Amino acid sequence: MVAVRSEPIDVAGIIRDLSSPGAGGTAVFLGTVRNHSHGRKVHHLEYSSYVPMAEKLMADLEEEILRRWVVHKTIMVHRIGPLGLGEVSVAVGVSAPHRKEAFEACRFAIDQIKSTVPIWKKEYSDDGPVWVGSEQTGDTPGMNA
Amino acid sequence: MISIQVKFFGPVRDIVGADELTMSLPDQCTGEALLQTLMNRHPRLGEWSSSLRLAVNLEYAHIGRVLEDADEVSFIPPVSGG
Repeated sequence: MVAVRSEPIDVAGIIRDLSSPGAGGTAVFLGTVRNHSHGRKVHHLEYSSYVPMAEKLMADLEEEILRRWVVHKTIMVHRIGPLGLGEVSVAVGVSAPHRKEAFEACRFAIDQIKSTVPIWKKEYSDDGPVWVGSEQTGDTPGMNA
Repeated sequence: MISIQVKFFGPVRDIVGADELTMSLPDQCTGEALLQTLMNRHPRLGEWSSSLRLAVNLEYAHIGRVLEDADEVSFIPPVSGG
């Protein structure tokens, strides 16, 4: 299951939906809004997305995971709109017979989401709004996940 | 002539000042030529041009792709989800 939506992410519901009688391990990654970035104090974030393309690429990722790893279920949900500090911006979960596959597939999914899926983060700090990704600093402190 | 829909997101949307435009283009127009047309109208897009990726009908495509009538096109700035 993949989704990009503005409603808060229901983490308990995701864990419930990942359950499977054959699962021996479930890995869940949560990205949350951090209070600082590049030395700036962040007040809140605003995410936007090219939703149909993002959901298509996430569905492609899901298919790729099912081809490459022995897993039962995968869930990827990204939130858009304004988010306050500490809120969950993205959740990725994988249930599998064994933990190795669950961890690997979960890591693959969040890495791919961050590098290819058309979602953008605008940070609001004391210095005003900044599109993350517009500053080529060479490291990744602007990313919250 | 072909008619396409161009969608704008993130910093590109801020520069263009619109979510989407319907544009008439000559036959055989490429993604690269469309980007040049947009940069002529919105010179600040030039700051981004080297980092924009073409998307056609919800898939990444080579910038030299020849556009077709009714295509949905976007120039994707560096993504920052997560």
